[in-house]
This record gives sequence, structure tokens and C-alpha cells, in this order.
Amino acid sequence: MFGLKPAWVRASRSGDLWRSPATAPFVTELLPGRGLPSISQPVAPFSTLVDPGDCLNVDGSRAFHVSPPREVPPNTEFHLVHVRPVMHRFHPALPPNPMWGYNGEIPGPTFVARDGTPQLVRFVNDLPELDPVQIGLPILAVHRHGGFQAPQDDGYPLDTFCSGQSRDYFFPNTHAGRLSQNCHSTNWYHDHAIDITAQNVYRGLCGFYLHYNDLDTGNEMDPAPALGLPSGQYDVGLVLQDRQFDANGFSVYDSFDHNGFLGDKFLVNGLIQPFMQVARRKYRFRLLNGSNARFYDLTLSNGRPFVVIGTDSCLLEKPIQVSNFRIGPGERVEVIIDFSGTALGERIHLVNRWEQNNGRKPDALVSPGTPLLQFRVNRDARDFSRIPDVLVPVTQGPRELLPQVQIQRTFKFGRSNGGWVINGEFFDENRIQADPRRGTPEIWHFESRGGWTHPVHLHLCDMFILARDGKRPPLIERGRKDMVNVGASYGDASVLVKFDYEFSEGPGRYAFHCHTTEHEDHRMMGQFEVI
Amino acid sequence: MNPRFFWSPLAAILGVPDRVAEIRDRSLPNVPLVTHEGRKVQFYDDLVKGRVVAINFMYTRCTGVCLPSTTHIAQAQKDLDERIAKQVTFLSISLDGEKDTPERLNEFAKRHGAGPRWTFLTGKDSDIELLRRKLGAYERDPKVDADRSQHAALVIMGNEPEGRWQAISALVHPTRIRQAIERTVLPPSKWATGLAVVNEVPFERSPASFKLVQPVDLSRIPALTP
Repeated sequence: MFGLKPAWVRASRSGDLWRSPATAPFVTELLPGRGLPSISQPVAPFSTLVDPGDCLNVDGSRAFHVSPPREVPPNTEFHLVHVRPVMHRFHPALPPNPMWGYNGEIPGPTFVARDGTPQLVRFVNDLPELDPVQIGLPILAVHRHGGFQAPQDDGYPLDTFCSGQSRDYFFPNTHAGRLSQNCHSTNWYHDHAIDITAQNVYRGLCGFYLHYNDLDTGNEMDPAPALGLPSGQYDVGLVLQDRQFDANGFSVYDSFDHNGFLGDKFLVNGLIQPFMQVARRKYRFRLLNGSNARFYDLTLSNGRPFVVIGTDSCLLEKPIQVSNFRIGPGERVEVIIDFSGTALGERIHLVNRWEQNNGRKPDALVSPGTPLLQFRVNRDARDFSRIPDVLVPVTQGPRELLPQVQIQRTFKFGRSNGGWVINGEFFDENRIQADPRRGTPEIWHFESRGGWTHPVHLHLCDMFILARDGKRPPLIERGRKDMVNVGASYGDASVLVKFDYEFSEGPGRYAFHCHTTEHEDHRMMGQFEVI
Repeated sequence: MNPRFFWSPLAAILGVPDRVAEIRDRSLPNVPLVTHEGRKVQFYDDLVKGRVVAINFMYTRCTGVCLPSTTHIAQAQKDLDERIAKQVTFLSISLDGEKDTPERLNEFAKRHGAGPRWTFLTGKDSDIELLRRKLGAYERDPKVDADRSQHAALVIMGNEPEGRWQAISALVHPTRIRQAIERTVLPPSKWATGLAVVNEVPFERSPASFKLVQPVDLSRIPALTP
């Protein structure tokens, strides 16, 4: 009975259950309003609400984190987002699918923030209480991933709001502890509700949250010291996801697959293998892996390099040229691709070469891999953009902070008895795993055993990866990060953390967890209180 | 009212497949089993269809995790409000069909204070193996998978008529199991997730995580020269 290894155990579980219909690649174009997300526009200021106590509201209990009556700075921008159902077409060959979208858009609208201009965003849950699709549940918590926000605004998994309720989130958009530690460029936002994050994100709930500042101005015409990175229509967010369909082309999910759900179709911004018309000039692409469990190793089919300018939320100190890079769930990599040397009519593919058959870890590099997106060079355009030698200097990096380190903690990510644990424990709502002191650097060691790769995410922190299995990390991992992949081919990691942000509200709880969202929902999550 | 009555028409209006039927066909095989009372049953038809269930795997010879798992589930069942409790069927399926006769299971149930609406089940090895895999209680590593005790700490909870399924480890605090079962019964708009729910288990600092290394040994950190 035991010890047998049926062939399908090795294959993807979802692949065993379903096979998506054939879809011709590169038939849908990424265009504004279809694939290229809209920009969230400010609305007239509204009076802020008391956060919902919890979804029950009958016993008079309150949410775990609630905001005191809000007094927002006068320059605060107000935004309003309705979370609602939408019929979405992944591909012309597939039927419209009932999805959920922020403002009914997939991906959700992109927020654009200026340093020093706070935003208050009200998310209204307009999802129906009853939903026959049974992927996700209409109970929400919104996390601005990579952002620094007070505990009640962080999308703590228990601070939920239900159908008919709303919750206000305040994003200060100021520098952490005035240490220019945060140099934020690409955050994203997604659902984070307790036990149901994987399905709610899979149902469509994610979007970009971008930052501009005096250096990264968002206008390539601006002279130095502005960075002059490609801007406007040449600054594009691309979210990579995988998805499984049944034979009729309806999106499916397997809530019995606890290892991490994979699909056999590849989406860019919600469309299966789309194409994009590009001009012969430089582009800035903000690549986000919004998949539940899939890792990618990306390369360009014409052999041209990427110039990496940012990892996760932050721009790097200096650009790095690479021929390929890896990106795990929750990670972001910002690159510049220069199409200026290409021929009109040329077609270039963004290719994933990393094969993955289950939620445990990515497998082998394959060739030629799967094209995710086709660039079609169709025109010339003037290019005022630059790639400066220095992007954002690191003034509070390992060299400055390491001598101050007094405390080291170890977190072992493991699997035992059918579940995922951190230091042998499952997430408990009322247990904390750390109490770092504000502004005091610590070293945290992350380990994974048993051949699993866990993409570890820390809230409220830009960390530095100090070591991989005792060696210096690869160049692309030496910038500020809010994700660190641990285990299997990535190895263990030692990271430098420092929690800077000053919030008048006092201590609250922040999560750190595996961003393979099925593992997260199975409580591979810890929390810390900054004291 | 059973929401299933309007689920299927709603699904038809939206043009999406009936997920409840699909989950049944995909993950809830109708295998024959025998209860601790010696009754012959079919897994789907007699135990799961139309119900809210909390399923775990166990075996009576198990000396490790089966004991805390069973104790936790029993505690959770005892602590459930009667209105919720009477809506939940507990199913414990033996991974040792050969040794675990109905009599042995009956004795095990009594010993662990299993309440009413808790059925212990045994059956043919091949049927139970199918059930275990369909319900997702397996390991990718065949060596680990061969160790029965690895599958004995998962509680798989389902609201079958609504097609909502999730799993939680039985090794969490029994209160958290009880809360998860409550959430399986109640629609999301009736879920409690607030402060009171958090504080139902006393505050704790993780003993495992608070083993700090002081003073710091930086020998694991490679040189920081550029």
C-alpha cells in the first residue's frame, strides 16, 4: 500500500486532473484598458470610516487592528476602489470567466504615488455573498506588498472586511525613519485574508503600486540628478501568473492540492501569452511574479541582455547586466530592455526556461522554454531616457549596519506531518515569533530542508541578503529586498533586517510568511511586533 | 436552506460549470467503508453528501501524532456551540485497514471521548489509499509518504453543498481547529476574525523562535568587501 510511487505523483497534480484547451499564442495585444492597467485617479476627499469590527459584528467585538479616528495630512490623495465581479477573457479561444477585480479590472488599477504625498484608499467589498464559482471567498484584507504602513493599514490577515463592508487604508509614502532606507519603486497590492489568500489572488485580486520621487521622477526628459529612466508609455508593469483551465476553458482551482497550485497556461497581465507592439528604443519593465507557486527563469529570445535596475520594492545602487534572471512568487525585478538595435518587424520573446511540476520547487532549466510575451518591433520613437551608472546609493547598508548588530534569530522553514511550519510551529493568531527593536538591525537566518523552495516575505522591511549558504549572494540579490527565496537550488539565506518606521499608534503585528500562497494559507506564517 | 438549490441555477446563468459536482467527481470517491459500529457505508453518498465534514486520517497502533491530533479534534468538537456542532460530521479514517477492525476503532473512539456525529472508518487498503490521495493527504517524497504517521495530522474540512474545502493541521491549538470548523459551517459574512477571536488563545512568544544568538557571531557572514 505504501511506498508505491504512481507516475502521477511526479507530474503536476493539476495537470493530472485537467488539461487546458489549446490557445494560439500571441493573438491578444496588450493595450491600455486590456492588459495594460489603468491608473487610479484621485477622487474628492471623503470622511474616513471606522474600520469594520469584524465580519460578524453581532457580538460587539472589534477587528484586531483598528485605526483611531483618522486625521490625514492636508495633501492626502483620496482613492476609491470597488472590489467586484467581472467577466474576463483570458484568450479569444476561451469563454469569458467570472473573475474578481479591483474596480473590476484585471490586473487592478495601478496606483502612482509621489514621495511625500500620502494616499488614503477606500476598498469597498462589492463581491456577492454567494458565489457558485467557489474560487476564493468574499472576505478581504488588502496588503500593499513592500509598503511601509501602520499595522491597521498593512492588510493583517485577520483585519478583514466582508461583502457590503469597506475598509480604509492609509499609505504615508514618506521615508522610513528619515533614513532614506526606502527608495521604493515597485510595490504591489493583493489580497491577504486569513486562510484564503491563495484563492482570492488567483481569482484576480492584485495590482501595482508605484512610487516616484525626486530621483526617479517618472519623466525621462528631466535632467540629472533625475535618473531619466524610460517613462510614460515606455514604463510598463507586467505581472506573470499561471492558470489552469478545464476542458471547456473555465478557470479551475484544486483546494485539495496543498503543495502549491500550478497551471498549464501562462498569463501576462491577465492574458494568455499576449503580444506587445514596441518602438525601437529603451523600455522600463516592472516584472512581478504574481503566481501562487510558480518560479520563472526569464531570458530574451534574441539573446540580448536585460539591464536590471531594481529588485523587489527598491531600485539598485548600480544597474546590472544579465542574460537571464530568476523570479519567485511575490518577487519583482525591474529591467530595461533596449529595442534600439532591432529591425522593424522583428519579433522577440520573453521566455521562461524554468520547468516546474509541483509546488515543491522549480525543476530543471529547459531549452527553448515557453514564450510568455511577444514583443513586435513596429516603429521608431525618440528616446530621451538614460541608464545612469548610479541609481540609488545605499547609505544604510550592511557595511554601516553590521557593526551595530546585537541579535540573531533563526527561522527554519520545514514540512512535517502534512503541514508547513516555521521553527516547528504553525501560525497562531496570538503567538509572535520576534520582537525587534525599532531602528535596531538584526540578522535573521532563514533555512529550508526537505528540498522545498519557500519564497519568504517580510512585511515592513527592506532587507539585505548577507549570505547564501555562507557565501556571498549573487549580484542580483545584493540590493534591498522584501522577498528571499530559501531552500533547494537557492540555498539558505542570512539577511540583515531593520524596522525603521515610526507609527504614532504604537506596536502592532506584522506578518512574515512563505509567499507560495497555498503554504501561507496552511499557516506557514509568523508574526513580529516592533517594540 | 441548502444553498445548493440555487447554486446550480446561478452557475447555469453565469455559464460556469457546477463546481460542487466537479469536486465530488474529482476528489470525493464513493468508496465502500465500514464504520466503528460495523455499518457498511459509501464514503460520498452516506458520509459527505450534503454535509459539513471534518476529516482526518489515523490508525490505532499509531503512537506519535495520532494521539495529540485526536485529542485536539475531540476538544474542538466538545467546545463547539451546540447549534454549530450538530451541523458537523467528524470522520476519522484508518490508514491501517488490516489491523483496524470496527471493534478496535470503537474502542479507540471510546478511549478518546469521541462525541456523537463522529464516525471512525476502516476499509480496503486500496480504497483508503485512493481516498487519501484524492483528499490531498500525501507526500511527494515516497520515503516520507511511506510513513503513515505523516498523514495523521491534517484536518480536511469541507462544506460539501457549498463546495468550500480547506485543511488545517490538527497540531494547532484546539481552539483554532474549532474556529476553522465554525468558519466552514458559517458563510464568510458571519465569520468572526476580530480581536476576541485572536485572544481566545492566550498570548505567547514562540519558545522556538526566541532562542536568540547573543553575542553575535559573524563568522557565517562572508566578507563584505565589494
